[in-house]
Amino acid sequence: MTEVAMEKPVDTLPGFDEAHFAAVLAQGESAVLTAKREEAFKDYVNIASPTRTDEEWRRTDPSLFPIADMKRLPNLPQVESLPESPWDAEFDVVIAVQADGFAIMHRNGTAAELGISVLSLAEAAEQKPELVNEYLQGRALPANSGKYEAFNDAFWNFGLFIHIPEKVEWEKGMLIRYQMDVNDSMLIPRMVVVAGPQSRAVIAEHLESPDTVRFMAVPQRELYVAEGANFKLVSLQEWGLNSYQITNDWGLVERDANLNWFTLNFGTARSKMKFGSDVAGPGSAADMDGLFFASGEQHMDQRTLQIHSSPDTYSRLLYKGAVKDTGRSVYQGLIIARPGAIRVDAYQTNNNLVLNEGARADSIPGLLIDADDLKCSHGSTLGNLDPEQLFYLRSRGMSEHDARQALIMGFFEEVVDRIPQKFIQDIVHKNIEEKMEK
Amino acid sequence: MSETKTYLEIRNLHASTEDTPILKGVDLTIAQGETHALMGPNGSGKSTLANVIMGHPAYEVTDGEILFRGQNLLELEPEERARLGVFLAFQYPVAIPGVSVAKFLKSAHDATHGDNKLKPAEFLKELRENIKYLEVDDSFINRYLNDGFSGGEKKRMEILQMLTLKPRFAVMDETDSGLDIDALQVVAKGVNKLAGADFGLLVITHYERILRYIHPDHLHVLIDGKIVHSGGSDLVKKLEEKGYDWVRQEFGEEVLVG
Ligand SMILES: Nc1ncnc2c1ncn2[C@@H]1O[C@H](COP(=O)(O)OP(=O)(O)OP(=O)(O)O)[C@@H](O)[C@H]1O
Ligand SMILES: [Mg+2]
Repeated sequence: MTEVAMEKPVDTLPGFDEAHFAAVLAQGESAVLTAKREEAFKDYVNIASPTRTDEEWRRTDPSLFPIADMKRLPNLPQVESLPESPWDAEFDVVIAVQADGFAIMHRNGTAAELGISVLSLAEAAEQKPELVNEYLQGRALPANSGKYEAFNDAFWNFGLFIHIPEKVEWEKGMLIRYQMDVNDSMLIPRMVVVAGPQSRAVIAEHLESPDTVRFMAVPQRELYVAEGANFKLVSLQEWGLNSYQITNDWGLVERDANLNWFTLNFGTARSKMKFGSDVAGPGSAADMDGLFFASGEQHMDQRTLQIHSSPDTYSRLLYKGAVKDTGRSVYQGLIIARPGAIRVDAYQTNNNLVLNEGARADSIPGLLIDADDLKCSHGSTLGNLDPEQLFYLRSRGMSEHDARQALIMGFFEEVVDRIPQKFIQDIVHKNIEEKMEK
Repeated sequence: MSETKTYLEIRNLHASTEDTPILKGVDLTIAQGETHALMGPNGSGKSTLANVIMGHPAYEVTDGEILFRGQNLLELEPEERARLGVFLAFQYPVAIPGVSVAKFLKSAHDATHGDNKLKPAEFLKELRENIKYLEVDDSFINRYLNDGFSGGEKKRMEILQMLTLKPRFAVMDETDSGLDIDALQVVAKGVNKLAGADFGLLVITHYERILRYIHPDHLHVLIDGKIVHSGGSDLVKKLEEKGYDWVRQEFGEEVLVG
């Protein structure tokens, strides 16, 4: 039999065509990175752009994202250092990312002593090409990736590669803080984290931009949690209210390893975010905690995937959201148990507070199971504050305003309480308060 | 002056929920320093009366008035009533996950004490004393309010709140139900700590048992939204001696009890 190669029509996102890609390559970088980009670009042009008829995009029209207006920032240059921020002291390494450059700042010798690599992808490709080759666009990504995954693979303009060697316990971990302030610019960050066998580490991310700046981010993260490792990622997203984001994040969790992943979303005008974890080795576990608050005219769409590709695995997901004013949220969750994934425990909960008429939250939990002998539960709730709880607090002298605040805060507390860093808990509380007041 | 002052005055109170009348003309006057007991069959409207005194938005007052120390409570929001010193120990306290007992008690204390707020350290000291007094476990204060509490723990929590807020007038809605004797004594201890000249109490109960610990000056029987019988210490004594069954026989409650 002969195979006939079918020529698919070339499909590119506005402004991100062949010529643009050639210009990206012309910026020059290591062979391993160029090869990966070229491979990705082929996929990118062959994957159809999403439309509203795709189930994933049914509630979030792709045309909400003004890609045509956004200019890709040139590959961010690395600079020696950037100004300090109040929470830097909590970490051993701080990476500051701005539109005109980024700095990797070691605050002490800990990372070096432990043999931890915190490198830009460009540096990593020079120093550890075989690791980059293995993990960038590696096994964490799904076989059939979507348009924006391939787009990020081909066009990323800021890349990080973090490697924590076997058995290393990195207690204080690192902070990556983004402060973007260039109008009509696009940041396409790529992060690869490899937590080696039996290692333990925590990474915090803080994403910020001023409300006045119109800007777009299309990040992608690949998290590799090797056998017996324990890795925590806390991502606090406070992009300004005039910004846009399309995210695709993937975690691969090997035998007896544990991934604890927090996604805390307050910002953007429009965002579409996908977070997927695969508990891929027996005894592995993923805890996914999320929190989101869409107020004003914000539109936030989140899709989570809890993939169980191995037997004897555990995943627990708790996403709590509030919508207010004409805010809109979409939560789609999917538990996927692959054939043979028996003795699986999978839990998915999405609770939503709808704080006024005119605000809207859609919650679509789901299961896709190709195995038996598993314990699965999924559930969601939607509703305003409970009048009995409100009355109880008011009967103790709290004003209606304060009682509402306490209840909304309390609603989120189950997630906030688990966040490992106190200062992030504080910022989260402040964000919730501000959203309630506005 | 030895003359007793009127504290709480309820006149011809009518209240309904979703157009169903529940209270159908309640008259009740409580003088300063007095304790009154209110009994009556299930569904007669006792909790509704308690909730209306506190200002629950689910009930509409269609007629009558409630005056507290001369002030018309019906014009006030629940929190304003609380700040005047009105307190309700709920029959079924709701759980509030995510709100810790300590934080909640501090907010409630601050809200009801206007200019006499305590510094956090002073507040904590007083809270610890109250906790000890009520024989409540220390770990209580770091738990979420009523979340996962047993029935008895919830009732103790109500009393702890009462001691913290030091109200002038309290309604205790079946705080005694489901409590063992030890817990009941703790509740009585709490009440007796507040009892005094500037305190009034309305105790709603199904059982004469609690009356041995909290000695009411007056007793009322509520049936179908109306007080059908009231009496002073004679009636209380009779009830203590003859038990609550006597009320049932006297007022035909046996057909109503669920
Ligand atoms: N919020 C409400 N919505 C609908 N019906 C109500 C509401 N509150 C009270 N009722 C009804 O009003 C009546 C009186 O209820 P209430 O709770 O006041 O009785 P109670 O005397 O406290 O009874 P119990 O001894 O069982 O506590 C009952 O028929 C009850 O079903
Ligand atoms: Mg009742």
